[in-house]
Amino acid sequence: MTLRQFVPTRRRAIIVVVGVVGCCLGTTGPSVRTADPDPDRASESASTFLKQHCQSCHSGNKPKGNFRVDSLTQDFDSRVNRDKWLTVLEQVKSGAMPPKEKPRPPVQDAKALTNWISERVEQVGAAQGRVGLRRLNRAEYENTIRDLLGVEIDLKDVLPADSATNGFDNSAESLHVSSFLMEQYLEAADKVLDAAIVNGPKPWMIKKRFDIKDEKSVKPKGSVYRHLEDAVAIFSSWVSANIQVTLWNFFTHFRGNYRFRISAYAFQTDKPVTFHVTAGTFGAVTEERIIGYFEVPPGKPTVIEFTDQLEAKNFARIVVDGLGVTPPVIEKAGAEDYKGPGLAVQWIDIEGPLHDTWPPPSHRKVFGNQPQGPASTAEDKSRVEVVSKQPIADAERLLKDFMRRAFRRAVTDDEVKPVLARVKAKLDAKASFETAMRTGLKAVLVSPGFLFLREKPGKLDDFALASRLSYFLWSSMPDDELLRLAEQGKLNNPDALRQQVERMLNDSKAHAFTENFVGQWLALRNIDATAPDPSLYPEYDDILKVAMVKETTLFFDEVLKNDLSLTNFVASDFTMLNGRLAEHYGIPGVKGMEFRKVTLPKDSHRGGVLTMASVMKVTANGTTTSPVLRGAWVLDRILGTPPPKPSVDVEAVEPDIRGAKTIREQLAKHRERAECASCHAKIDPPGFALESFDVIGGWRENYRSVGKGDPAIVNGRTMRYKKGLPVDAADVMPHGQKFQNIDEFKQLLLKDKDQLARALTEKLLSYGTGAAPGKADRTEVDAIVARVQPKNYGLRSLVNEIVQSKLFQQK
Amino acid sequence: MSVHRRTFLRATGVSLALPWLDMFAPRALAGESLKPNRRMVCICTPLGLHPPDFFPEKTGNDYELTTYLNVLKDFRGDFTVVSGLAHAGMSPGFAHQASASFLTGIQGAGRPGFRNAISLDQFAAEKIGGQTRFSSLALSGEGAGISWTRTGALMPASTSPSKVFAKLFLDGKLEDVKAQVTRLEDGRSILDDVRDEAKSLRSNLGADDRDKLDEYITSVRELEQRLVRDETWAKTPKPKVNVPPPQDIPNAADLIGRTRLLFDLSHLALQTDSTRLITIMLAGSTYAPPIPGVSLGHHDLSHHGKDPDKLSQLKIVEVETMKTLRDFLAKLKQSKEASDTLLDRTTVFLGSNLGDGSSHSVKNLPVLLAGGGFKHGQHLHFNEDNPPPLCNLYVSMLQRLGIETDKFSTSTGTLTGLDQVS
Repeated sequence: MTLRQFVPTRRRAIIVVVGVVGCCLGTTGPSVRTADPDPDRASESASTFLKQHCQSCHSGNKPKGNFRVDSLTQDFDSRVNRDKWLTVLEQVKSGAMPPKEKPRPPVQDAKALTNWISERVEQVGAAQGRVGLRRLNRAEYENTIRDLLGVEIDLKDVLPADSATNGFDNSAESLHVSSFLMEQYLEAADKVLDAAIVNGPKPWMIKKRFDIKDEKSVKPKGSVYRHLEDAVAIFSSWVSANIQVTLWNFFTHFRGNYRFRISAYAFQTDKPVTFHVTAGTFGAVTEERIIGYFEVPPGKPTVIEFTDQLEAKNFARIVVDGLGVTPPVIEKAGAEDYKGPGLAVQWIDIEGPLHDTWPPPSHRKVFGNQPQGPASTAEDKSRVEVVSKQPIADAERLLKDFMRRAFRRAVTDDEVKPVLARVKAKLDAKASFETAMRTGLKAVLVSPGFLFLREKPGKLDDFALASRLSYFLWSSMPDDELLRLAEQGKLNNPDALRQQVERMLNDSKAHAFTENFVGQWLALRNIDATAPDPSLYPEYDDILKVAMVKETTLFFDEVLKNDLSLTNFVASDFTMLNGRLAEHYGIPGVKGMEFRKVTLPKDSHRGGVLTMASVMKVTANGTTTSPVLRGAWVLDRILGTPPPKPSVDVEAVEPDIRGAKTIREQLAKHRERAECASCHAKIDPPGFALESFDVIGGWRENYRSVGKGDPAIVNGRTMRYKKGLPVDAADVMPHGQKFQNIDEFKQLLLKDKDQLARALTEKLLSYGTGAAPGKADRTEVDAIVARVQPKNYGLRSLVNEIVQSKLFQQK
Repeated sequence: MSVHRRTFLRATGVSLALPWLDMFAPRALAGESLKPNRRMVCICTPLGLHPPDFFPEKTGNDYELTTYLNVLKDFRGDFTVVSGLAHAGMSPGFAHQASASFLTGIQGAGRPGFRNAISLDQFAAEKIGGQTRFSSLALSGEGAGISWTRTGALMPASTSPSKVFAKLFLDGKLEDVKAQVTRLEDGRSILDDVRDEAKSLRSNLGADDRDKLDEYITSVRELEQRLVRDETWAKTPKPKVNVPPPQDIPNAADLIGRTRLLFDLSHLALQTDSTRLITIMLAGSTYAPPIPGVSLGHHDLSHHGKDPDKLSQLKIVEVETMKTLRDFLAKLKQSKEASDTLLDRTTVFLGSNLGDGSSHSVKNLPVLLAGGGFKHGQHLHFNEDNPPPLCNLYVSMLQRLGIETDKFSTSTGTLTGLDQVS
């Protein structure tokens, strides 16, 4: 590595940032070069190290890489200075510095230096708290709004996605604020208040039975439909040619919950028939979302019922799945005479938007029972607004209650005062009560008290603990019970916490834990990052994709619910399957769309998350698998030992699917290079073990090739791809144990259960507190592991032990 | 109204030395008529460009036109193609996340402890952004953009050309303008309140948390200042353009259509001097684009695994992208400002965080620099095993904008061999 590549600029940028906000630059402390003799020997030898090995290049007016070691100070409280030390740590530890052409420092000296730096940094961490001031991320903001105001609102158009560090997007250090984000928060506040507060009478409701015969596209002749006496039979859908049943007669004028009831049965078959329902404006492929997949058996009509929140101006659509024929086949035979299976739809009842009360709960969460009075405008004669006879008193009462919930803690009169003053100023400027109140509410929604989780160094107070707990398990604000316990000071005892964890995990809001934790831990959020090449993977479709993700989340829920051992994530004798996924896995006897717990046959090669189709898909691209990427993924996600950053000078391997060389052969050269070999000895084995699974998680003995290879024949049909070279999934672990295949590999992983538990504990702590545990926290992490070990490493026990731990209960 | 604003300024202590005051000064007084207004457009194609179809073999002025460069053949004298460049210190892995570093040069995107810094366009906006209605525009064909603030926060990028068009060119009805001004005033007073609240929280915090809160306070103050500007601009009629407002393309698969809309919009924004700094993140969709002969999404094609069919489809998509760039350059060249073409005054930079989408390499990044007042017409080659940092190019670009700096991020100087037209 050359000096030019030594880049401390990031730190420089921070100097400027801090400079802008007027913080001290940390250059006032004694510098290492001129430091008075320090009683601390370690500190002195650090100074000696820098003088001997760094200073000749990194000092003076034109320091190499624009980094001066003589600007380092002992003031570790200063973030700027600390970051500079961390740069030194990073460079010395990785061996990048001193550069190759210079004399190497003795290993123990380098180690002493890096240890000294990390200890000093951790000391500061202990005094300031491990977790920094944490802003709500977008998902947390949306959920908090849902619980605070009772409106479910998608803010993806308004708030940007959050970036992630340590693998989670609720990491305090990565959640920044900018003036642009503040502007978005102002806009988001308007949007959520508009959705929560109503200014009109209850919207009129659709309550109607739809018959798909009435849709123009559902022609009685020359199509894929047959009009039956009691229903219409659909024999095929072809989305790309727009041959699908769209209910153009149904249209949502308002956003809200709609109840669907569909009466249908499987026609001309003794097997169930699958279909899915979508909703959207249907302006384009991206303007349509799947509400759900359903199936109906043959015989007596089945009524499928569901309720879903639809946006305004939406239509709905029914698409049949998996009937195996394309429309031209049916058109050729004639729908009247066609003998194959179909979906017979009798009728569709739709009712909505559903409102039990008016004004809706969202409105009353802000204004309680405050009366409304006429406030017509030119466009809207029936408009009403909240009114008040004693505006200041009402405003104070409403704001106090709102702020307590929005800030998730007791608020003082001093905190309410400025907001109330703002409302009063608006009233004085002749604004209406509601308008003035909206200004106050908006101020609360962009204030730091709402946007940040306030935690003070040391042991968390009950309110902070309530928030940490609820953002961990619900990704949302504490509910009334948690807030009440915090107010009474009763949350902070082991039994109360245990009870609350149980109550919270049993609540439906806990699905946010699965969605956000598992979605990031196992990268399920990336399921759509690539789409498999249809000529290589013709069996892939949306039903399979949805089923893949569902298997993994249901599996996690199952382990969590029953306190099963976390070793199930590596190897289990069961999984959660429906018919489609079972077929993909080659597991017989599972039919239908419903998911259920299935005991795996001995030779299934499945069990655990590693071999799930979802995980195999997100760790591959649409065309190829890479043992390096998958291997690194296993080291990071499952073993908790992420590989270091690869050397800059090495080019990545360019995948080749023309069938002449396997990835193992392509990688061999790479592995031979001395500077690569030590890491690849760890990275590659898990990756090779997983080579038995293709990019959609199907089991493979041979690669699929687009060039060389024998014809590939599946169910009597010749595929467009060829049968390529055979897969070799055998390899050797870094410590020499050999394995032949994935099954043996999993057993090797199970040999160190503590390490699996440690890895998951660290992930849960990162996610649960907003900061990854550091080196100094290793003892506490090990203590958690020791407490779940006798409980057979139960996952629910682990969640409880994490909540009981010091790392969770201290800032 | 102006009395009102001044009252507010006094009340909140917002400094009166705000850049927006500049715009009241007649151009001649500000000395601007002496120097042409320089502009910059930075475009990131997130999946790179297939290297053999982009980079020429020969260097210098008589290089051969490759498949992609051939699309731009009419502009041969107006652009420079650069090979071999990379960001200093970047390593493979997290190559897609590295789009965060494209305009910042900061390494480590996607890794623990990553903290980004200011992007090239925002660095420039701090210096010259105060002269136009919008100090900069961040646009994206899909998803996040490539502009970052000084605090290392991602700037939201607009994916809706119709909304940006409305902001740039459509004056609302009188009552809408009034409502907008009220909204901005309300926004400012709210921000003033929360800033005080934040300050009172500050005393109880450790140094790190204070930094975080200061970031909030700074953001609020910057926004207040921007809202003051916005209020003034809200009362200034917008420039009129003689084209119908664009219709957004809801179909995310149509990346070429979306790119075209963004380029057309950028041309209008530059031509009307609504902004001088634009960043554009192009879409890299997973869905197959509606282009004849293409059945797979761009991202999947970029992972071609040397499949000849995928490579030919990839080429189709990327040639279409180059065509949109060609048409953008043509529009800039047809527009005149004083004695120059708009292209002469606009540096158009097309590049990527990926050197090779298939291997996820972050070396030998594709770089194409057009217009702006550089001496063009050449293929500038650097040794990809020991190249100067890409940020050297950024310093050259900043200097071309008239910004006096000899340093940006990881730069070690300007880019050797790239000279300004005197």
